[in-house]
Amino acid sequence: MISIKNVSKNLGEFFLRDVTLDIEAGSYFMVLGPTGAGKTILLEAIAGIYRPDRGEIRLDGRDITNAPPRNRNISMVYQDYMLFPHLNVEKNIAFGLKLKKIPKNEIKDKIETITNIMGVHHLLHRFPGTLSGGEKQRVAISRAIVTEPKALLLDEPLSALDTQTREILREELDRLHRETKITIVHVTHSFEEVFALGDAMAVMNEGKIVQVGRPDEVFRKPNSEFVANFVGVENLFKGNATVNNGISNVKLNGINIVSTTCKSGDSVISIRSEDILVSKKKIESSARNSFNGKIKNIVNKGTTIKIVVDCGIPFAAVITRKSFGDMELKRGISVYLTFKASDVHFI
Amino acid sequence: MLKRFKASKIKIISIFFSLLLALFILVQIICIVTHTTLPALITSICSKEMRFAIELSLITSAISTVLCIIISIPTAYALARYNFFGKNLINTILDVPLALPPLVAGVGLLILFGTTSFGKTLADAGLVFVFTPLGIIVAQFFVNIPFMFRILRGTFQGINPRYEHVAQTLGCTELQAFWRVTLPMAKNGLLAGSIITWSKGIGEFGAALMLAGATRMKTETLPISLYLNMSCGELDLAIAAATILIVISLGSLFIFEKYGGFAKVF
Repeated sequence: MISIKNVSKNLGEFFLRDVTLDIEAGSYFMVLGPTGAGKTILLEAIAGIYRPDRGEIRLDGRDITNAPPRNRNISMVYQDYMLFPHLNVEKNIAFGLKLKKIPKNEIKDKIETITNIMGVHHLLHRFPGTLSGGEKQRVAISRAIVTEPKALLLDEPLSALDTQTREILREELDRLHRETKITIVHVTHSFEEVFALGDAMAVMNEGKIVQVGRPDEVFRKPNSEFVANFVGVENLFKGNATVNNGISNVKLNGINIVSTTCKSGDSVISIRSEDILVSKKKIESSARNSFNGKIKNIVNKGTTIKIVVDCGIPFAAVITRKSFGDMELKRGISVYLTFKASDVHFI
Repeated sequence: MLKRFKASKIKIISIFFSLLLALFILVQIICIVTHTTLPALITSICSKEMRFAIELSLITSAISTVLCIIISIPTAYALARYNFFGKNLINTILDVPLALPPLVAGVGLLILFGTTSFGKTLADAGLVFVFTPLGIIVAQFFVNIPFMFRILRGTFQGINPRYEHVAQTLGCTELQAFWRVTLPMAKNGLLAGSIITWSKGIGEFGAALMLAGATRMKTETLPISLYLNMSCGELDLAIAAATILIVISLGSLFIFEKYGGFAKVF
């Protein structure tokens, strides 16, 4: 368990302010926040790169506030991988093992195992400069976990990758966590990643922790306007899906959403807020999803208006300023939301 | 076709000037190299005096280059990585030898080592810099350290400190992280800096003349030899020294362009 108590650090442009956070051993902990929120410094403080100006950091009860990084047994993977360009993949992965004076044949075995798990075994003799982004990230993660650290810190590990690679790697991170049970702290600005991977999460803004909780909790009950606006960008829901006659039925919080994507089991679905039709009366149409609820919140987004409607779960819908005016929408009035089954996407 | 030709008058004029300039430089080099015959050149190069000059030049420039590397690495690292009080001032002061005429630098060194109690203490301890080969090394070091320092500072600035951070989380001390990661990554900069410092050292004349003097077979490096032999009409020996200096300069320039093109010197 990593426990951070009242930690502050000022690096000028970036800073932490009185951060208190407990990260359970073995959990997949997500830190969500906009650019400049102090997420990377938080990781660097945990890793020991920067010593806090104030506060205390403990790892499994041991005070590591002033311990140098090498004595913490916590690995970190930066967004841009930081693979040593003068060493090939094998030597990059062996770097930490050699420093720990592990015998050569044991190093070889460990590299063999980890590169097979991470699917980079065929790259051992390549240099980082010749690898793709996804390959670099796998090698960087291999290098970080081959030393069997107590925690793995990931700084936006998926942001620099293309959509397809990102999805594959996200699933692999999930698998890696399930198989190794290593504590992972994963920094991101994407709520999609939080939902797909996190057991628990913290939202950061301006160097402070704004909210801590389970992802669905934070999403359902944001404790401030900042969190609501930041996480409420998309309609993301966690539920249980069953496939029936070529369509999926996703049950969540008492309502049932229909999707044309055939997937079953625990899933996360998303509906783009632009794809939701808002009406005051129920519309008869071919769209399979229609829900009734009260307008909970109205956010002016300039040329468009975002309304949040509580239908058991909070839906965000974006409409034009003109329709907003024409329909005379107000907080608290009842509206119908309609969207097509093909607009419900699985993550 | 004709129209395009007309339109690019500025192109023709500017290219003409660049060709003229290149020709001017080339002609000088050719004049030196073709001034004597090849057998005469070889005889001169093999003469005792010239062999002494070559040897002294190689030794002094090699030592001064190593000194420049040793001193520049921590200095450049500090100024690339850390913010501290007086950093800008130090950066400016470190550039001064670059702007100073070497003769003036030599006078300063001569006064420091020849007249102050600091210089006298060193001389009493056996380190005599005035009119000795040691003086050549110091003069080369003083004049050339800005080149090494600036190249290395640029190199270190270009290496993300996060490489060291990662190395530390993997088990390195700060020093190990520098030694195993940053320094190998700075390889090209180090090579480029060494080459330019060394070739500048070989050609160093003004400051070395002031501090170490021009004594035949004692402080006679290649440029000093060129100067001495030119003054007393030994044209063949002078040309031999000049030819060797040309070869070294061109070779260094080639290597520098190949490996150090990225490093900002000025």
